[in-house]
Amino acid sequence: MSGLLEVTDLVAGYGNGPAILNGARLSVRPGEVHCVIGPNGAGKSTLLKAIVGMLPIRAGDVRFKGESLKGLRPDQALRRGICLVPQERALFPAMTVRENLRMGGYSIPDKAELERRIDGIEERFPILRERRGQRAGTLSGGQQQTLAMARTMILKPEIVMFDEPSLGLAPKVVAEVFGIMKLMAAEGITIVLVEQNALMGLKHADRGIVLDLGKTLLEAPADEVLRDPRIGELYLGGRSEA
Amino acid sequence: MADIVQTAILGLALGGVYALMGAGLSLVFGVMRIVNLAHPSLIMAGAYIAYWAFRLAGVDPLLILPVAAAILAGTGVLLYKLVFEREARSAKYSEMTVLLTFALAMVMEGLLGTVFTNTQRVTSPDYATDAFFIADVFIPKGQLYAGMVSLGIISALALFLKHSRFGYPIRATTQNREAAELLGVNVNLVSLASFAIGVGLAGAAGALVSFVFSFFPSKHWEWIVILMSLVVLGGMGSIFGTVLAAFILSVLAAFVGFYVGAVWSTLTFFVALFVVLLVRPQGLFGEKPELA
Amino acid sequence: MAEFGASEVVAARRARDSGLAGTVDKTRSAWFPLTLLAALLLLPALQFAGNYNYLIHLTLFTAMYVVMASGWNILGGFTGYISLGHIVFFAIGGYFAGMVFARMGISTIVLAPFAGLLAGLVGYMIGLITLRVRGPSFIISSLALVMIARILFENWHFVGGAAGVALPANDLPAEWAKLPYYYAFVAMAAFATWASYRIKHSKFGLGLRAISKDEIKAESAGIDTRFHKVLAFAISAFFVGMAGAVWGEYLTYIRPNIFLVVLMSVNMVLMCILGGKGTIAGPALGTVLIVAFNEIFVATLGASEINVLATGIIMMVSLMFYPLGIVGTLARRGKLPRILNWD
Repeated sequence: MSGLLEVTDLVAGYGNGPAILNGARLSVRPGEVHCVIGPNGAGKSTLLKAIVGMLPIRAGDVRFKGESLKGLRPDQALRRGICLVPQERALFPAMTVRENLRMGGYSIPDKAELERRIDGIEERFPILRERRGQRAGTLSGGQQQTLAMARTMILKPEIVMFDEPSLGLAPKVVAEVFGIMKLMAAEGITIVLVEQNALMGLKHADRGIVLDLGKTLLEAPADEVLRDPRIGELYLGGRSEA
Repeated sequence: MADIVQTAILGLALGGVYALMGAGLSLVFGVMRIVNLAHPSLIMAGAYIAYWAFRLAGVDPLLILPVAAAILAGTGVLLYKLVFEREARSAKYSEMTVLLTFALAMVMEGLLGTVFTNTQRVTSPDYATDAFFIADVFIPKGQLYAGMVSLGIISALALFLKHSRFGYPIRATTQNREAAELLGVNVNLVSLASFAIGVGLAGAAGALVSFVFSFFPSKHWEWIVILMSLVVLGGMGSIFGTVLAAFILSVLAAFVGFYVGAVWSTLTFFVALFVVLLVRPQGLFGEKPELA
Repeated sequence: MAEFGASEVVAARRARDSGLAGTVDKTRSAWFPLTLLAALLLLPALQFAGNYNYLIHLTLFTAMYVVMASGWNILGGFTGYISLGHIVFFAIGGYFAGMVFARMGISTIVLAPFAGLLAGLVGYMIGLITLRVRGPSFIISSLALVMIARILFENWHFVGGAAGVALPANDLPAEWAKLPYYYAFVAMAAFATWASYRIKHSKFGLGLRAISKDEIKAESAGIDTRFHKVLAFAISAFFVGMAGAVWGEYLTYIRPNIFLVVLMSVNMVLMCILGGKGTIAGPALGTVLIVAFNEIFVATLGASEINVLATGIIMMVSLMFYPLGIVGTLARRGKLPRILNWD
């Protein structure tokens, strides 16, 4: 089988430290929502960083549409259509909302096209139009996450990867975040999501991927993962009922 | 009254020079999170370029300023490629780079000391010893010119960062390096450029310093603590903050020098650094205590 | 899809965790440092055979730096707080002992422990303030400390200002004149090395090392990080102050431009980095190399500017290519010779 993005036997780590990922696999299917779960230190964030080239790949391969991404920088991966939203939102706090959106389209050379796309985003997320002149650092947590997610849509990417988007947000806001994610999926954007809250992440996903000790233990439809008794015991605190 | 005005004017004039000395340091920290302890030793190199150009060919330090800036900017590119590029992914990056720049400062001091000896120097164009008089108050021409040129350069830098095509990614990288990288900014190139600009600013500052202060290679240790106090008070990475802090502390130091005693004037900067680090580590304009 | 069982995963995790913890090398050797110490104690006997004053001086000088570097290592190596300003404690120890010696004639060797305690006390108080910040901020504050101390000492008339104070030389014949100081420094070096070993392997030392790895985690694990850090600062200041105490009488003067030199402060740091900070043998090994290197440089090229240049270059190279130092790098590669494993 060959998905949109294929990660095979990936080995990666920071600097000259030990390998965090040790044979991780991931098969991403177009148009679906994928949720990667696993305990702290399993290598979930590392996996996303290695895919976009923030960390060097020591062994194994990452193929996007059959083409290897090995050795590419994040800006080069981005131009191919893979976008990562890191933990803790990733805004430019001293820039305005509008400037943040403009940075989202940094790799689009055509200024007029960029403005058109930003207008389109503002239409869809009125709150961003309302706050366009406000400094991003002064937005509420939910608004910041909305901005960070909306910003990725400017590039019309094929795959968007989120690293713990619900981190530090109130439950009501978390629901909003997953709502936006649904919206993106409905537009045909493929989503890869890393979630500490495995139960919630899997509920919103089509596919579930279990990562532990740097290895992929299981890749299956999300509801199957939720029902798997081993997963219940290891990661869901013994509550396997979903 | 005249004393107070006079002291304030002398403080402000020096503040202008300190502002440019600190601006490059602040820029480099903002973009790369490098506390460049070698910055003052690079200013020193700029000062020697101006000194020898004046002494050997009679060229005015203000004319040689762009040349000194260009030479140092080139040095910056070289240093970045040889030393800092490979450290970018180091786990203990910030600590590592402080020690590295500290070592680099010693290398610069050793080089300058070996080539130019530790003799005290000062460039002496006519205006360096001249002054304008307004009633009882005098304004030293050298410091006034240096301060004005310095503010001119800083304004140009601010405009460049705010409006130019290249300013955008620099500002973005300053505020959130990871996000900028993920949005397609080639942060390595941005770092290289900012480091070159920062070190180039050191060269420009050196040309001004050459006729405002007397200097010798090992004097850079004193400058580093002075400049760090400005950058820390201003909020690491905020160029505007650095400029404001330069004026505040220089005026304060001028008053301490006048009313308490000249030797205690420099101590003002050192004590200020301590107090700011401990009371408000994020400085006046820092978003958060980046350094702590 | 790979088959796996829940219990296997739990077992694998446990195996990884114990693998991380179990890297302690069991091949340490105590005989080598002890033999070295015995040889050093016997070294002055050479004076019966000829004039070995230069060798005695160099060994004494090395021993002094071993005291300082080992002391620095407790804060910089174990705890991970890089101080570029420890020379301040050298000056405090030197000035205290020197002044008491000048006024009351009590030997600085007797005064050394008290000078160390004073330096430790000042270190404790400074630490209470500066250890509230981490990383670059702490490094910069330590550098500022040297500048402040320099201005204070240069303008403090009681201790002679910039000119300092001259101290009387002892009245032993030239070939034996250095010996009291020689034995004092060798004894201090042995004590500093032994104390580092004991501290590193104590519960307190474990706390320090936890702080160096991850201070926030250490704190959440219930370690009183503030107390640990400040005490480590005080202990490291104690050793540096003790070394400073005897140095003044040996030189026969105390003066700011001898006792408050950035280069000396850097030397302590560099010796630890080159040898391997956080290890026991590292500071000693680094000291021997740097002193030998300085000596060769100054003897062949003379100029102190070149010495500054060379020191900077060595520091850059070791930071860039061997950030773990000689002992650390060899240990990481599993090639550390037994005689250098004092941990």
